[in-house]
Amino acid sequence: MADIQNITDGGLRTWLLSDSPANAFQARAQRAYVGWLTFKTNPIAMIGLIIIALLLIVAALAPVLTAGEGIEQDLANRLLPPSGEHWFGTDELGRDIYDRIIWGARVTLYIVFLVSIIVMPIGLLIGTVAGYMGGWVDTVLMRITDIFLAFPRLILALAFVSALGPGLENAIIAIAVTTWSPYARLARAETLTVRKSEYILAAQIQGASTWRIVISHVVPMCMSSIIIRLTLDMAGIILTAAGLGFLGLGAQPPLPEWGAMISTGRDFLLDQWWISTIPGFAILIVSLGFNLLGDGLRDVLDPRAASE
Amino acid sequence: MTENDALITVEDLSVSFRTPKGIVEAVRNINLTLGRERLGIVGESGSGKSQTGRALLRLTSGNGSISAKRMEFDGIDLLRASKKTMCDIRGNRISMIMQDPKFSLNPVMTVGAQIAEAYRIHATVSASQARAKAMEMLEAVRIREPEKVYKLYPHQVSGGMGQRIMIAMMLIPNPQVLIADEPTSALDVTVQMQVLALLDDMVRQRGMGLILISHDLNLVSSFCDQVLVMYGGQIMERLAAKDLKKAQHPYTHGLLNCLPQIGGGHEELPILKRDPAWLDLQESRP
Amino acid sequence: MIEVRDLNIRFGQGATAIHAVRDATFSVAQGESYGIVGESGSGKSTILRGLAGLVDDWTGEMSVDGRSLSNRPSKADRKQLQMVFQDPYGSLHPRRTVNDTLSEPLVIHGFDNIEERVINALGEVGLGREFRFRFPHQLSGGQRQRIAIARALILEPQVVLLDEPTSALDVSVQAEILNLLVRLRAAHGLTYLMVSHDLAVVGHLCKLIAVMNRGAIIEEMTDEQMRTGDMEHAYTRQLWVASKGYDLDALGKFIDFE
Repeated sequence: MADIQNITDGGLRTWLLSDSPANAFQARAQRAYVGWLTFKTNPIAMIGLIIIALLLIVAALAPVLTAGEGIEQDLANRLLPPSGEHWFGTDELGRDIYDRIIWGARVTLYIVFLVSIIVMPIGLLIGTVAGYMGGWVDTVLMRITDIFLAFPRLILALAFVSALGPGLENAIIAIAVTTWSPYARLARAETLTVRKSEYILAAQIQGASTWRIVISHVVPMCMSSIIIRLTLDMAGIILTAAGLGFLGLGAQPPLPEWGAMISTGRDFLLDQWWISTIPGFAILIVSLGFNLLGDGLRDVLDPRAASE
Repeated sequence: MTENDALITVEDLSVSFRTPKGIVEAVRNINLTLGRERLGIVGESGSGKSQTGRALLRLTSGNGSISAKRMEFDGIDLLRASKKTMCDIRGNRISMIMQDPKFSLNPVMTVGAQIAEAYRIHATVSASQARAKAMEMLEAVRIREPEKVYKLYPHQVSGGMGQRIMIAMMLIPNPQVLIADEPTSALDVTVQMQVLALLDDMVRQRGMGLILISHDLNLVSSFCDQVLVMYGGQIMERLAAKDLKKAQHPYTHGLLNCLPQIGGGHEELPILKRDPAWLDLQESRP
Repeated sequence: MIEVRDLNIRFGQGATAIHAVRDATFSVAQGESYGIVGESGSGKSTILRGLAGLVDDWTGEMSVDGRSLSNRPSKADRKQLQMVFQDPYGSLHPRRTVNDTLSEPLVIHGFDNIEERVINALGEVGLGREFRFRFPHQLSGGQRQRIAIARALILEPQVVLLDEPTSALDVSVQAEILNLLVRLRAAHGLTYLMVSHDLAVVGHLCKLIAVMNRGAIIEEMTDEQMRTGDMEHAYTRQLWVASKGYDLDALGKFIDFE
């Protein structure tokens, strides 16, 4: 009743800024809106957001924006420079580079998404449990983390590839397996700070189980740092996947993965620069976008800033 | 007190801050005069008492602005003084100590070294002279075993001792005015009293003016000579500490009444009823 | 209701071990309010945490309502004893709404009618429904402390431990919270154990007060003694004098109880 009134009276904005949210949904929507207002004031962060938004749109609209899927070969038209017909030129197999870049956006997003959903939960869980429980649990979990931290990424990727065969998914698993360790450490550090807080003590006094405290109380406090770190790491992850693609260990032809594109173009770098350079630019811009977005998110999500 | 006796004269001081939500007026048109006496400024959080203290030394943070008809110290116009003049005055002629010594002391220097450094800021002396002076100050603030304490780090000293060290540092250049912003709030009550006794001594010996900013009405009224009660950025009342029980303003009354007293029984405490009229801009106050 | 005998709590081991509570013994009758005063490091908050089951290493006997407290309190044990903390800014989870904070204990213990109970709890501490979905940063210090009190009472405990509940509040807000605590005590027949460094506040709420210094309870004061200043121990007397305000003459006679 009351919030419908609010919506019709002042519109959405009033609903989002009202002093007394009427339900949990409104409360969280308000929090997100206030975060958005803060985010908006940072022009650099907005640029990052726009870049990533564009990436998402381009990936979603790939069938609409391109003529083919970037895998059709046309050997008669190979190594053509950028022109009206082929905006980014063609590569050594006559494939339209513009098409490949656009479809490659999907591959990039795929990499980003898969790595995130593997790395974030594992890092969070291990870090928070280790930090909260302390003692031998902490020691064991942290030594496991150290072991994984010690793995060199490329060597592990080679190992995976020789065991499981080359492919994008295997490269992604290799990246994820070597990336989660710092997140566990980060989560653990945050947990150690949070562990002695009075709201945690209050939860203990109420009889909350360790599991409930870790999931409902500790994890939300670690989320911000993890998300920020992940966004800033994204650039590195994309580059690593590109590097693996470059070595032939990741995406296999004809998949239009940007790193693989740079790789195959390297033989033609001097005369047909566009084959390697344009995917290189794409990686640069997307990495930059993630970095700027991460910076902006830090201002919004930092719990210290949010504790007004 | 005639004009000539006053160390600090302030007329119509206002401090406002630009925030994303609009302009916040922390201090509104207040007048105060400080002579060689102990002046207490009492108020709850948000009353503007701390901002008043900072404004006198032009230490208001970045997005704030100070305006006043008059803000003078010993003939110097504090409002229009140059940065260099203010630097000369701060710490040298008007000193300030704050609530928690742990936050005001440099955690990576020994306390002795910090006192010595404070000395060398305002006087050109050799290192050994500074050290000797630091020892002297530690003794002056009644710290036993000053040689031992000289070598300690801030985290190794108790709150009371930390505050004494702050006082030692602030008093080296022999300032004429000391502004103390909640200097004893973080201390145990017996230590509070000892630190105040020290301040009392210093004020008496050196003829300093002291502004004590606190939320503790009891403390201020038992220690200070004059009391200013602030609310909503304005001064509600100015009275002599000994006349506190005869306070006129309902806010002062309310504040006094809602304090539990030792040996005062268990009846429900009267609640302070805030009258919105108190926030209206008053005409020139006493 | 509360019986504590020869309670000893130690932190750390070896050379750096701290004997935070030494042989503490006291008892609190049902419906009474017992106060513990002391300066920082006296061990008063540690006793409270010991009773709340937040301390691992303790020896002695503690019992609530006749039942001995164990080192690992069960969920059922938790229902009879709750705590209100000092810092209203730290005792509420910054990312959870008031509703989350108040309904969680009910969910943990399987209560029914959660929504109704939450709204009732808010009402009891003088807050309306409009506070239900706010986040802690949208509340004032006094409001947060009321939520903390509501949280402590929502499981219908018999004993409430109060750890300096008004120290971080403005004087006018302190009066409101103290009145609220008195009203709730009468309404629910609660037993309070209150810890504070402020003699006046403790004296207002409690009729019997223990004085602690360096981990040991050195004296138990009554109302009458608070009024007259007729204390046994010199330390208590000194504390009493210092609490009344600045008095230069009295200060001259202060001793160091290090």
